[in-house]
Amino acid sequence: MTPRPSIDHIRRPQILAAAAEVIAERGVAGTRIADVAERCGVSPPTLLYWFDSKEQLLAEALIADDDRFYEELEQRLGGAATAAGRMVALIDTATESADDFALWMELWTWALRDAGLRAARERFDARWRAAIEAIVADGVAAGEFDNTDPPRTALAIAALIDGLSAQAALGDPEVSNARVRETVLAGAESLLRAELPASAGAGGPASP
Amino acid sequence: MADRETARERILEAACDLIAAEGIDDVRIARVAMRARASTALVHHYFSTREELLEQAILHSFETVGEERFAETGGEAPTATAALAEAIEECLPRPGHLERDWVLWVELWLRAAREPGLRPLAATLYARYHEWLEEVLRRGIDAGEFTAPDDVPALTDRTMALLDGLGLRALLRDPTMDIDAARAQVADFLAPQLGIDPKELATSVTKM
Repeated sequence: MTPRPSIDHIRRPQILAAAAEVIAERGVAGTRIADVAERCGVSPPTLLYWFDSKEQLLAEALIADDDRFYEELEQRLGGAATAAGRMVALIDTATESADDFALWMELWTWALRDAGLRAARERFDARWRAAIEAIVADGVAAGEFDNTDPPRTALAIAALIDGLSAQAALGDPEVSNARVRETVLAGAESLLRAELPASAGAGGPASP
Repeated sequence: MADRETARERILEAACDLIAAEGIDDVRIARVAMRARASTALVHHYFSTREELLEQAILHSFETVGEERFAETGGEAPTATAALAEAIEECLPRPGHLERDWVLWVELWLRAAREPGLRPLAATLYARYHEWLEEVLRRGIDAGEFTAPDDVPALTDRTMALLDGLGLRALLRDPTMDIDAARAQVADFLAPQLGIDPKELATSVTKM
């Protein structure tokens, strides 16, 4: 057993970024290992040393994408003083990063037919719903939201965001992000039976 | 002429079955031809490219199944609440024809997210879906059975998003929820906004 060369720790993120790009452009079915290798400047054997299949590349690229998302989310949640503000920050973060939507669509469609990707989707979804649920539960505890079932509400908010992101991906990219945000916010207000502030940072009256 | 029409439809049906079973990216003309008991030459006679065939197949699926469903839904329902319950049912991926329809819907999302050329088709289908669901809501408002929400088109968008996000999870056999849970969630979301009893809305109306 030879240890894996340490340089690959640097290459791995590059490979995953290239995989994300190529898969978003061509889909898993239209992607060849050689295309990804070419895009990130490694040889196909090097790439295959790390990744067994295109399905694995997709799953790992999504994990990297997801980790970046949560890093950003954590930062933005830190800027909000209330649960309502954190909910707005979460919705903002989720609805702004629509660029990688094609990659998530790949996961959904491949999860219809691939058990490994189906399990991966369940893990991503569980993490996402837990993040939403934590904010709902905080808001309920603080008396900000009038809600009796945070897990169920988290599922509904996650579903709203997915459904609207799909609508947006099919519509006019110029107007869609703002519309998605507005629609999710209004839906979340109904579900939480609470009013949400206009922006994540707004703790009191809106400043000029 | 009638024979030709039949052959074309057979090809489209075969393409829909294969897209649903294997994914849009894996569909090959030769296999569609085989399944439709047609020659590849005949397939090419009707559809000059693979892209055209796939686009027409998805359109075909929504026009036949979709229009039948949209036209009939609620027509005979005794109340607007029953009509809305039926409409919700028609939007969820019940096993059988609706499930195939749903898989095609997700495949279309995926494809349109990558290919701007498909977005007008997707937008048309979304607009039709929206118009139909909004009509069901308006029927109850006009009859005085529902209290009028502030913005009916916006509520329609939110409901569609929720249906799509929950339906997608049910389709993927999400271990934390199923179609019954999806139906109940949508009912609990809509009922308070329309001033009706969620239990009545969540009543399963499996006619088909």
